[in-house]
Amino acid sequence: MSATDIPRTLDAVLLCYCTDLTLGALREACREGRWPLPGKERTGKLCTGCQGDLAICLRDFGGRDVE
Amino acid sequence: MMGSSGLLSATFHEPGHRHLLELVHQRDLDARRHLDSLELTAYDAAGTLRRTAAVDTRRGVVDLAELLGPPARERLLVLLDARYDPAIFPYRPHHYAYLHRRGSPRPPLYYAVNATLGGVPDRIGASRFNHFETYLFLRRGVAPRAALLLGNPSRFATARAEVTIHYDAGRVERTVELPPKSHAEVALPPAEDGGRVGRVELKAPFRLTSYVTGRDAGTGDLVLFDHLFTYFR
Repeated sequence: MSATDIPRTLDAVLLCYCTDLTLGALREACREGRWPLPGKERTGKLCTGCQGDLAICLRDFGGRDVE
Repeated sequence: MMGSSGLLSATFHEPGHRHLLELVHQRDLDARRHLDSLELTAYDAAGTLRRTAAVDTRRGVVDLAELLGPPARERLLVLLDARYDPAIFPYRPHHYAYLHRRGSPRPPLYYAVNATLGGVPDRIGASRFNHFETYLFLRRGVAPRAALLLGNPSRFATARAEVTIHYDAGRVERTVELPPKSHAEVALPPAEDGGRVGRVELKAPFRLTSYVTGRDAGTGDLVLFDHLFTYFR
């Protein structure tokens, strides 16, 4: 599946519980070329539980992760 | 007020067990802290959703078996999505649980529920590899029949987990592929020469739900139910 197929109705779903990042916020930030959002730079790097989902979303939303 | 924060904890529930969950580990009798909300979802081994429930957060202790409805015939991965006020829980809320096989003469097991997503809030500033974990087995007493329970709480990503079982001499490696919300049991048998399992290591591309279990070889009663610990500190 592609993360771009995720309906907008799920935008409020929490993707990263450590930084409180929602799917919708990530989608919009990638669309507008603003990823990583201020304060969300460590998304996927703390508990690491969302790292797999985050990688898929960044790939499909066209965002770029930071080192 | 800092707004609401989230914590997704996870455990496994098996038929025939009493499984009492402390929503908030109250440290004193006067403490009356509550979560904002708690949503329960439960999945079978293939990752199929079997149950959803909104938990009344005014209750201090809830019975998972009761929340899960008609007794399941199989083990379920139970995800507990808690939302809470970080001003009330400056670190994070913890869930603890009692687990007891109905009719067993053994005492219940008390364990900390695995905080799988949101276990390291950004404001804490902690940073470590949470997806490399290990468990050291005690050497005393009769060695229980041990196993590793693994669950993948992700929404889209499949995990390929590497499990290494260490003995006094030598080790054995297993690989487990876990689609989203699926779960599996990895047996940790004695070595071919009868040697005991000394420790088990888990490596995965991201943090999984992971517990070690030990069962009485005769009755099958649980004598160990514990989450793994971070490998690197």
